[in-house]
Amino acid sequence: MIQTVVKRDGRVVGFNEEKIRAAIRKAMLQTEKGEDESLLQKITDRITVTGTDQMTVEQIQDRVELELMKSPRKEVAKKYIAYRDQRNIARRAKTRDMFLEIIEAKNNDITRENANMNTDSPAGMMMKFASETTKPFVDDYLLSPEVREAVRGGYLHIHDKDYYPTKSLTCVQHPLDRILKHGFSAGHGESRPAKRIETASIIACISLETAQNEMHGGQAIPAFDFYLAPFVRSSLIEELKRLEEVSGKSLEHLYHKELTDYVKRDISGLEGEERLFAHAVNCTVSRVHQAMEAFIHNMNTIHSRGGNQVVFSSINYGTDTSAEGRCIIRELLNSTYEGVGGGATAIFPIQIWKKKRGVSYLPEDPNYDLYQLACKVTARRFFPNFLNLDATFNQHEKWDASDPERYKYEVATMGCRTRVFENRFGEKTSIGRGNLSFTTINIVRIAIECMVIKDKDERISKFFSKLDEVLDIAAVQLCERFDFQKTALAKQFPLLMSRLWNGGDSLAPEDTIEAVINQGTLGIGFIGLAEALVALTGKHHGECEEAQALGLRIVSHMRSRVNEYCEKYRHNFSVLATPAEGLSGKFTAKDRRSFGIIPGVTDRIFYTNSNHVPVYYHCSPRHKAKVEAPYHELTGGGHIFYVEIDGDATHNPKAISDIVDLMDRYNIGYGSVNHNRNRCMKCGYEDASENLEKCPSCGSSHIDRLQRITGYLVGTTDRWNSAKLAELNDRVIHK
Amino acid sequence: MTALSTNELQEPEELLKQKTLRVIDIIDGTSVDGPGLRTSIYLAGCRHACPGCHNPSTWDFAAGQDMSIASLLDVIEEAEFPVTISGGDPLYQSEGVTLLAREIKRRLGLDIWLYTGFTIEEIRASERLSQPLPYIDTIVDGPFIESKRDPSLHFRGSTNQRIIHLKH
Repeated sequence: MIQTVVKRDGRVVGFNEEKIRAAIRKAMLQTEKGEDESLLQKITDRITVTGTDQMTVEQIQDRVELELMKSPRKEVAKKYIAYRDQRNIARRAKTRDMFLEIIEAKNNDITRENANMNTDSPAGMMMKFASETTKPFVDDYLLSPEVREAVRGGYLHIHDKDYYPTKSLTCVQHPLDRILKHGFSAGHGESRPAKRIETASIIACISLETAQNEMHGGQAIPAFDFYLAPFVRSSLIEELKRLEEVSGKSLEHLYHKELTDYVKRDISGLEGEERLFAHAVNCTVSRVHQAMEAFIHNMNTIHSRGGNQVVFSSINYGTDTSAEGRCIIRELLNSTYEGVGGGATAIFPIQIWKKKRGVSYLPEDPNYDLYQLACKVTARRFFPNFLNLDATFNQHEKWDASDPERYKYEVATMGCRTRVFENRFGEKTSIGRGNLSFTTINIVRIAIECMVIKDKDERISKFFSKLDEVLDIAAVQLCERFDFQKTALAKQFPLLMSRLWNGGDSLAPEDTIEAVINQGTLGIGFIGLAEALVALTGKHHGECEEAQALGLRIVSHMRSRVNEYCEKYRHNFSVLATPAEGLSGKFTAKDRRSFGIIPGVTDRIFYTNSNHVPVYYHCSPRHKAKVEAPYHELTGGGHIFYVEIDGDATHNPKAISDIVDLMDRYNIGYGSVNHNRNRCMKCGYEDASENLEKCPSCGSSHIDRLQRITGYLVGTTDRWNSAKLAELNDRVIHK
Repeated sequence: MTALSTNELQEPEELLKQKTLRVIDIIDGTSVDGPGLRTSIYLAGCRHACPGCHNPSTWDFAAGQDMSIASLLDVIEEAEFPVTISGGDPLYQSEGVTLLAREIKRRLGLDIWLYTGFTIEEIRASERLSQPLPYIDTIVDGPFIESKRDPSLHFRGSTNQRIIHLKH
């Protein structure tokens, strides 16, 4: 029974049911059928009686909306919602509360939406103010009514909505060769082409950092080894020239001497040119090692976006079999293994091993030794992840082992999972392209709404028809955003459009980007397949073959609809297995308010990541692989396979390669291994025990427990939002 | 080489269905009982009673349930991982373990690790305990000794325990 009401400005007043009646009446009078006094009274009574002692105005209005939606007079509900919308636009009292929350540096789900962002710093706060105020602007002025309603109803989530007004695109795979060969101009400084490994590594950092400020997603380098390899040789030549000065002899004939591998060797006992050459190689290896260490260090310390975020950076490598490329890979892995600072695990860049049969996977492959090293590094440092170039959908017909630029036909991924490869409007490649924007569908909500239908076939067919409606709206929404994005001028994204984005160099600064952005993709994502299946069939796909068959039918259906959108709207649409960091709890909270707690569906405060087997379900890694594998082929916009292993993987790198074998065998596109890694911040002790509270070596309780969240590593869990934290606590190891 | 009679070899299928082992748990895909991901089979019963044992509930010979060798082989075949036989101490069920290990090798050709509280010297000296040896690739031997505990060891608890790769 409602007694008191908390008004928007915080005052508490006595409850007056006449206010509810008046609001409903007003809405009814705007419809053709007009007033219905008995329905009006029934709804008012029900809310009054079933409400809690004290309620906020918003809570009461939510109830009115819900009751109207349940009543036969749905058109009244629509009017009521429209009225509420208008009032909200006029009011915005919420802005004040939200600002206050940010100012007080409270740890809440607004400030913890993104785990790698420091919203306590002034720059971070400033960005949060902006972010929170652009969102309602987008709702009110940039979304069409149909889309706004779907978002408001909890069916759709528009990712990076705060960036919508800026027209920014999501992400890009950097064609670093263009930058290294031609230099670039970033802001006030121009950069010349690189000549040595140190400069090349710094330029790679600056490229990532600069582009991060021009986009709203992550930044990646698709072929780190191929791009940096030439600078290993130029650094070697530099070392030889230095020796020429000392010895007074020309060593020019050694500049391009073939080498099988750049490895350090003891020069004692060596004489003449052999000694000089070995010394030059040794110096080069040290320099490459230093440059790789600097690269990792910079990627963890250079802040972008007003200084509150490190770059969400990823690098793909593993397939360059030249001695120089192998030197880059080896030294990168070695410095990753050693760690940054006092030996801590580097959080960025996300590293991705490109696993390819004949190149970087099988015992007879030229880069097998480095693959083994990669497994050892992952066992300790969580990275590299593994990208399966042999998966049927990741292959490219133009790839040729003798082509020095074959990396152009190797798929590359954003560390978080965003995948761009197929292309209806040009060469199939990952390079110089990226995602434009993505939007996620709450398939759980759609499934819950069908639960009332007793007959299973009818229930499922209703689900598909509702899904179609929401898919159509998602496609329209992405096209609307595309049409807005394409009006951006090239000069708004100076580095991106001058050097990185395919075709961007043909644009003048004042041109719009319309001619080139169709190279990018539009992602339609989904979240909570497991919970949707429980709602529809009583079981999820990890535990029941029938549910798995339905799960595959659902995602296949999304895939074929998305193919239709490609034709209809002439864009590169793709299905994305949504990572959903900030989204994880938002949909669930809303669905709980609407439908209450449904066992197996809304009883946890998060929904399961995309097509994953729920984190709380015990099963072996092989079972998980078999169940999740077929979804990878269907989700061209990106996917990731995670395995949580039970032990200290540092003792057991073979466990890592066993998981890569599962990926190889079951046609999985991209995957990574999660395991515990504790580090004592005082003495540097590391182990893999669960819930380590106190360092067994020095007794300190300052323990950093490293974890992965939507693909990114996060040191402490302080910045995790409540839904993600709940998901972490429910994670079980796969054994 | 083996203690099995010729009669048993003639009817292995039937025998595998009849013969049982007392099994506490099977974990498919573990990374802690030997290299790579493995299927670990924990057999009931142990009389070593090492102080500080991390799992005394496995000492009871009546713990867990009976499973036929045939059904264990099915589980192992399905999982496709190399195998670790642990416990309890599996050598108290030496005969069944011999049969299981022999069939894993014959039918599936998988690598087998065995954990036991007996030392390799004790095992070799005993006809009964040494029965499964021809089919085992690696033995982790010896009792857990609390004063020799070292958490940094790989795949074992105390420094007296050895990882012995048997050469056949």
